[in-house]
Amino acid sequence: MTPLAGSLGAGACGGRSPAPPPQTGRQLRRVAGPLGRWGERKEDLTPAPQIKAGGLSGKPQKRQSGIPEKGSGAYTAMISPQDPTLLIGSSLQATCSVHGDPPGATAEGLYWTLNGRRLPPELSRVLNASTLALALANLNGSRQQSGDNLVCHARDGSILAGSCLYVGLPPEKPFNISCWSKNMKDLTCRWTPGAHGETFLHTNYSLKYKLRWYGQDNTCEEYHTVGPHSCHIPKDLALFTPYEIWVEATNRLGSARSDVLTLDILDVVTTDPPPDVHVSRVGGLEDQLSVRWVSPPALKDFLFQAKYQIRYRVEDSVDWKVVDDVSNQTSCRLAGLKPGTVYFVQVRCNPFGIYGSKKAGIWSEWSHPTAASTPRSERAGPGGGACEPRSGEPSSGPVRRELKQFLGWLKKHAYCSNLSFRLYDQWRAWMQKSHKTRNQDEGILPSGRRGAARGPAR
Amino acid sequence: MLACLCTVLWHIPAVPALNRTGDPGPGPSIQKTYDLTRYLEHQLRSLAGTYLNYLGPPFNEPDFNPPRLGAETLPRATVNLEVWRSLNDKLRLTQNYEAYSHLLCYLRGLNRQAATAELRRSLAHFCTSLQGLLGSIAGVMAALGYPLPQPLPGTEPTWAPGPAHSDFLQKMDDFWLLKELQTWLWRSAKDFNRLKKKMQPPAAAVTLHLEAHGF
Repeated sequence: MTPLAGSLGAGACGGRSPAPPPQTGRQLRRVAGPLGRWGERKEDLTPAPQIKAGGLSGKPQKRQSGIPEKGSGAYTAMISPQDPTLLIGSSLQATCSVHGDPPGATAEGLYWTLNGRRLPPELSRVLNASTLALALANLNGSRQQSGDNLVCHARDGSILAGSCLYVGLPPEKPFNISCWSKNMKDLTCRWTPGAHGETFLHTNYSLKYKLRWYGQDNTCEEYHTVGPHSCHIPKDLALFTPYEIWVEATNRLGSARSDVLTLDILDVVTTDPPPDVHVSRVGGLEDQLSVRWVSPPALKDFLFQAKYQIRYRVEDSVDWKVVDDVSNQTSCRLAGLKPGTVYFVQVRCNPFGIYGSKKAGIWSEWSHPTAASTPRSERAGPGGGACEPRSGEPSSGPVRRELKQFLGWLKKHAYCSNLSFRLYDQWRAWMQKSHKTRNQDEGILPSGRRGAARGPAR
Repeated sequence: MLACLCTVLWHIPAVPALNRTGDPGPGPSIQKTYDLTRYLEHQLRSLAGTYLNYLGPPFNEPDFNPPRLGAETLPRATVNLEVWRSLNDKLRLTQNYEAYSHLLCYLRGLNRQAATAELRRSLAHFCTSLQGLLGSIAGVMAALGYPLPQPLPGTEPTWAPGPAHSDFLQKMDDFWLLKELQTWLWRSAKDFNRLKKKMQPPAAAVTLHLEAHGF
């Protein structure tokens, strides 16, 4: 029998010196299972003391019990079946056959271990002088994906032969495929594996895609980009023709294929979050903050109407308030805020209607949180007191009414919506000032407004 | 595939020899190599732990000592103490360099299809570090004026796909690869420590000189 050329065989990586040819009598047969007995290779032994060859356990390598035999030292064994694959719950009949050179080699005293644990003797029986049999029933799923280690031991505990058992279930259909394209340049897809059988055996997932009317299957190559069940297709994507996408799951026991997802790249476009988000105060207004951002530059060459969403929360809270429907503009005024409070604000973008598509795209990630604080409330009026939670409330009635009137007027006369907000704020600030002076007047002096209105310095 | 990788290894660009005049000599790079072996030893401990757990018991049991068959061609760190002591610098460095070249080659071939992505990443990271160690040893050899070992004829890698290799045997090969790697790193630390001591300027001569002058 020719010596084995496994991964540590002579061909690939080369040894420091060519491997010594197998001599007669040594019979180092390494074909599919048989192992020589430890202690055969005499060149290992050195008479003088060695420097400590610390093994992984830190202990010096133990010499096997048993003297190396001269000449015919062969005592090999073989387990059958080698590396079988089995369904959970099935049974296994295995044998360990000993080939001894001294005719006294016998199956007596041999025993089995599975994953390092000795198996109960009632599961084994001696078939004949040189064969020990094993019967396992109702197998559990493999303890590790590299296979359960079934080992045949000699009486003294040394390993004679081994076999890896792969016990599991065939894969189930992967499902829930979702994909998105960043700036129409690539495609990333994610899926959910079928429920069972994914853990006992190694399951290989392959994401496939093809253009609907062009027939050639392609396989995605960059896996685990956004989690364990994901794949990234970096280039060569076609627009305007739908893709068919599916996932194939394969393991030793079989394979399964997900349903086919059909999509058009233009319908699943997402982009980067808006850069340069700035949040600032609006003059002295205590309940407002102004948010400005830039539209994502990657899509600036493509005609699309962006939609934005803004969310904000108070510093110590986990509840976000969302401003929806911010269409195609790059600034917004947040109102109704608490004075003297720090707010965190984030913006995200949806490339709605890209290339004339009527569908919404996919929302980008939220931008990095930007913080700003509203000015402290200065109202020390006799009426409401300092603990008014909502600054707009006492004057909400009349302000609302007037706002409606004002906006109505603006719709007729203004040409830019931004302008309306600014004008409104200026007007509102003026309203608040005049409210203050009005209140102060009533409480203090009946004389002219101007003098008394000065009050506490601003 | 494997052949390609191994040929690349042998053609690591030669590190230019350090300018000997007015510089500290090979001392710092020996120290660096020593430090690298300690770092790699530490890295290997956690990699081996994870990998052996992946192989499953009994491979991850502390006293596990299976027959050593496929590991015949592994460069062996174990050596007679007197032989080790009497190695000259060139031979000492050459043995280290050759050993890690082969070990790196085997490690890269550790193509466990079934291993988790995380394990493959750790292995790749370790290979990169080991490549760094090789470069460092090459640097020391160049600084001392020793030529880098060339691949021996006959071990020129020609990929010969062998007959089907049992999975259990493969596991044992993997076990011995990791164990030999550990042993080599353990030995290399001693090798470079010894070299470091040899390269240090003789302090005794200097003190004598001062004493003669001052007193």
